[in-house]
Amino acid sequence: MPSPVAFPDVALPESARRLRGEVRAFLDEERARGTVLGRPDSWLAGWDPGFSRRLAERGWVGMALPTEYGGAGRGFLERYVVIEELLAAGAPVSAHWVSDRQAGPSVLQHGTEEQRRFFLPRIAAGQCFFSIGMSEKSSGSDLASVATRAERTADGWRLTGTKMWTGGAHVNDYAIVLARTDDAEDRHAGLSQFIVDLRAPGVRVEPIRLMSGEHRFNAVHLEGVDVPDGMLLGRRGDGWQQVTGELAFERSGPERYLSTFPLLVSLLRELEQRRATAEQLTQVGILTARLLSLRQLSLGVAAALDAGASPDTQAALVKDLGTRLEGTLVDTVRSILPTPADPYATPGSHPELLAFALLHSPGYTLRGGTNEILRGIITRGLEQHS
Amino acid sequence: MNTRTIDTHTVNTHTIDTSTPVIPADAYDTTAFYADADAIATVTNPTAPDAVTLPSEDASTAELLAAAQEAGRRAVPAPLAETALVARPLLRRAGLPVPEGPLSYAIAPELTIRYAHPADSPVGSAGCLGEDDTLLVTGTLPRVPWGRAATAVVVLAAAPFGPVLFTLTPDLADLAPGGNLAEEPRDDLHLAALEVPAAQVRRIAPELLDEARLRAALARAALIAGAAERCVDLTVAHTTARTQFGRPLSHFQAVKQEEARLIEEAALVRAAVRAAAVPLDTGGPAVRLTVAAAKTQASASAAEIARIAHQLHGAIGMTRLHPLHLATTRLWSWRDEDGDETHWAHCLARPLTAATLWPALTTTP
Ligand SMILES: Cc1cc2nc3c(=O)[nH]c(=O)nc-3n(C[C@H](O)[C@H](O)[C@H](O)COP(=O)(O)OP(=O)(O)OC[C@H]3O[C@@H](n4cnc5c(N)ncnc54)[C@H](O)[C@@H]3O)c2cc1C
Repeated sequence: MPSPVAFPDVALPESARRLRGEVRAFLDEERARGTVLGRPDSWLAGWDPGFSRRLAERGWVGMALPTEYGGAGRGFLERYVVIEELLAAGAPVSAHWVSDRQAGPSVLQHGTEEQRRFFLPRIAAGQCFFSIGMSEKSSGSDLASVATRAERTADGWRLTGTKMWTGGAHVNDYAIVLARTDDAEDRHAGLSQFIVDLRAPGVRVEPIRLMSGEHRFNAVHLEGVDVPDGMLLGRRGDGWQQVTGELAFERSGPERYLSTFPLLVSLLRELEQRRATAEQLTQVGILTARLLSLRQLSLGVAAALDAGASPDTQAALVKDLGTRLEGTLVDTVRSILPTPADPYATPGSHPELLAFALLHSPGYTLRGGTNEILRGIITRGLEQHS
Repeated sequence: MNTRTIDTHTVNTHTIDTSTPVIPADAYDTTAFYADADAIATVTNPTAPDAVTLPSEDASTAELLAAAQEAGRRAVPAPLAETALVARPLLRRAGLPVPEGPLSYAIAPELTIRYAHPADSPVGSAGCLGEDDTLLVTGTLPRVPWGRAATAVVVLAAAPFGPVLFTLTPDLADLAPGGNLAEEPRDDLHLAALEVPAAQVRRIAPELLDEARLRAALARAALIAGAAERCVDLTVAHTTARTQFGRPLSHFQAVKQEEARLIEEAALVRAAVRAAAVPLDTGGPAVRLTVAAAKTQASASAAEIARIAHQLHGAIGMTRLHPLHLATTRLWSWRDEDGDETHWAHCLARPLTAATLWPALTTTP
């Protein structure tokens, strides 16, 4: 049995190189339009449905979905190339992010044929945006403790409870909600996933503001929301397995180390206008070496997914390393070129980008499962192996 | 610490059994870890307990790196990485025959080199032409890895007519033994007007000098990756087996946290080294970038890896009763050899700009 922290070697095919060139050309066009601003954390904060649709027109949303459902059938490695280009450029991808990364693969894997035919083409067209409704007030790290309930009705389910930290629920179309359908001794049994229309009666979305003042998060109150039978995602009682499988997608991508990459680019732009000292260059080099090394690992996870494996331990490892680097990058950039972070400075200027990255920084190591929890997964994986 | 006695009975007796965290004292007594004839045999003698077979000369760089990493993991007492990844390829590139046995290298621009048989030259300074390329070499090759044990040392230096590569057998030099923190031989070779016959000298392109530095750094990074992996193996085995407060150490959250960071850091170094394998074979601008990144990352991670491994081993890890020191003392040594992280990080960043950073990062794989 190969070690759970072994990573396959990756050789990107020639087609990926071509694809990269196409994405770069597209990004140049978009820069000229003023839509790509090189901002950090653009997969959380860069909400631009128009941009998402233009990407979709090129076949770059739902890329890994099969063609029969409107996808491009291009696999995880090619998708990787596209999304890393978008993230490195700080392109506004948050509108379609969750539907592309999670909802699409999840519906493909667990959904009914009807759900696939309905959702997947819309996702791939950049016309159907999803939120994740997992967390609750008392269920963060301990996700299995969710209290949202789904009661059986004549032709479906009635959902009651409150989801927290639901990114984008105020602008998206649907949320995949984890709810308890059956009481069971084993806390991991009796959970199920539902696709909830965020505009359905009984859904009340209440903003939760970030400390930057931005509105990205919400509390989503489900006050007796009727969900038809056809919107149960996967099998009743299989919610836990489905969610953990989904997390491999959620945890493995380049967004887990590139959120603050645009800030490093901004730093280099600043340094070009002065004469960088040897010490400054050395620190840039240390960050760059780490980025390059992490990218190899991250690509390894994509390659494993592409090969149909479920690299959970590897994904956890990359996410812990990557999200810590995102935070370290902000601190290091600040010390390489001491700059007071200023949210009121010209948008896109270095002090403004620094302020933005800093205000978002506590989230890097929390979202998608905290680093402490991830490290538990890593050591468990290795202990079971040894 | 350069005059330790060599007890040939204890050389090479350590076994690498990570399933046994508590190790009988005598099985791990590695006080004499300097190479002698037996220890060196591990390069070529695959039946020695720590043997890592020296890859064939036409192995790919990926295979060479894997072997070097394994040598690092097992603390193989022989210059396997030096031979396979540095000396042999350089000799081949320079068109010199590759001697049998363990080899070493020295990149020594500060040597004083003259023609042994100067020719009268109508132009230029006296001695800028020779009747042949036989050289007279004076100066010191500092801290040559496994100098005393190598059948030949490949030297890259600046001669009056440009960069040269030549080989020398260490017994022609005045050897002052030295060692690193892991007691691996690092010997100063003093050369006093040593005559190097023309047949052993090759004029080389300046790029080969560059390549030598890159190869040496990458070889060292691969060794570090191996030693890091050894730290992981030993630490996981130890925290699973050792019980305190009625539970294995590995059941404590705080222990898991640290252990995971160790595992991650080692994975990062491994990935950095592997990223350089293909570029080195195919050439191009990615070579400098990936090698610089590999050595930067390997050297920069060494401290954290050694710190966590020792912390989680508790007191036993600080002793010679336990093999952990074989890995950590090497990490501490190797991170400084062939350029430390400051040096390579600077090389890495110097050509980068806001416009080239991302394209550079994506030139590989
Ligand atoms: C920017 C951002 C976006 C998010 N988006 C979404 C979203 O769209 N949808 C959604 O459902 N959720 C979302 N979340 C929620 C996120 O998944 C949770 O914040 C996360 O799982 C942690 O839960 P918590 O905040 O309740 O912290 P807690 O679980 O209360 O943890 C607090 C601290 O204690 C530590 N801790 C807890 N248990 C253990 C343990 N057993 N061992 C060691 N340490 C432990 C944690 O690691 C953490 O450091 C988002 C969060 C952030 C920050």
